[in-house]
Amino acid sequence: MTGVDNDRAAAYGMWIALLSLVSLVCVIGIAWAELTSPGHPGHRLLGGGLIGVVLLAYSFILLFLRKGGFTGV
Amino acid sequence: MYRRLLASLLRWTLRLDVGINRVYPADFNPLYYTGGLSNLFLTILILSGLFLFFYYVPSYNEAYTTVQYISERVPYGQIIRGIHRYSADGFVIVILLHFFRNWFTERFRFSRDEPWISGMMLLVFAGFIGVTGYVLVWDQRAELLVVMTGNALAAVPAVGGWLRNLLFGGPGLTNLLLPRMLFLHVGPAVLLYVLLWWHYVRLRHPKVWPPAVWTLFSLGVVLLLSGLIPAASQPQASPTTPPRALAVDWLFLLPYVSLKYLTPLWLIVLATVIIVYGLYIPYQLPETRAEMGLRESGIAQVIDANCTGCELCYYDCPYNAIVMAPSPHPGVTKAAQARKLLAIVLESRCVECGICIGACPFEALELPHFLEQDVEAKVLAACRS
Repeated sequence: MTGVDNDRAAAYGMWIALLSLVSLVCVIGIAWAELTSPGHPGHRLLGGGLIGVVLLAYSFILLFLRKGGFTGV
Repeated sequence: MYRRLLASLLRWTLRLDVGINRVYPADFNPLYYTGGLSNLFLTILILSGLFLFFYYVPSYNEAYTTVQYISERVPYGQIIRGIHRYSADGFVIVILLHFFRNWFTERFRFSRDEPWISGMMLLVFAGFIGVTGYVLVWDQRAELLVVMTGNALAAVPAVGGWLRNLLFGGPGLTNLLLPRMLFLHVGPAVLLYVLLWWHYVRLRHPKVWPPAVWTLFSLGVVLLLSGLIPAASQPQASPTTPPRALAVDWLFLLPYVSLKYLTPLWLIVLATVIIVYGLYIPYQLPETRAEMGLRESGIAQVIDANCTGCELCYYDCPYNAIVMAPSPHPGVTKAAQARKLLAIVLESRCVECGICIGACPFEALELPHFLEQDVEAKVLAACRS
């Protein structure tokens, strides 16, 4: 790997770490929304939306894994 | 004029491809997977639709309340309803993208007219299914849609009344309306898979599913929208207080908006012209190679002695024009002597493109009027000059 490649991989690595953190927070949010949903049916909407955020984060993690040269060609 | 416009649109489409390929790796370019994305959204629609189907009761008294029950009482019912709603939007958007991309890149030529025709039918059916879905909710918008559709159909000369009765079970609001709408919502959805089979039958390597990046992204967007902007019904339909304004969904209900400016008869004429023109697109440009100024290469021929049965041509032919059959006898060359299969070209499907010639490393295929040595001679002559 050249210096430029290393810099790019590091930048994408940072994004991947950040998105992983966002996913973790969202998963905690999903669990909280589900646990508190009996008294607050609207929390399930929050839970569903957060599942969407997790999936979006995963899609970008896959993209950045590829663009950073961690996976694929 | 049309030819020049199409060339210009092709240039812009390719520029868009290049632009997207700078952001995404080329095999992640979403424009290459509009067909696969359509399948993804269709699958989401079928699965979420099955869930909703378990609860839905198609009667005037219960349709609205069952939809409300799903939204308010069933755990995650509102989310599933939203998924169904926004997947339908996604389905139509990617189908339209698929339609325009294949139009602008002329992917309807030669034997691709069948995927084009079946694709047009898929588009029309998708729109129809979407409208019936709006009626099933049986809110004020649904009632208005029924009234407007009934009026539009009644304007069709000779068969209008018959069509309206067929669709709604009779004039006005009959007890048959919602069961028929449910049938017309679910039945054509099954027919979509028959049309999909027709859509793919002539394509060797259709991209039937998007890459994981876009599968996750699409699911994520649909779920996020379901949570942020929950799908909601309007007030319940009531014959005593007929609705006056239509809450518009621009993807599915655009024809109804145009009724503000067009008479029902003109709308039906316009819709028919658009659909018929869509079906005619593959035949609008010159079809034969001679008309296109291309050389007649002749149907690809298999050179029996050289064919090793390796199947490379079979996999590379984009038109499904090559099949592999058990070899009745061994080949002549050393590589071909142990073969078990023999390539056979289906004349009705071959478009004389020569892709199989490039795929075959054993010189076992040729275009009779465009032999490999002729091509080599031309390339050499061009290089020398």
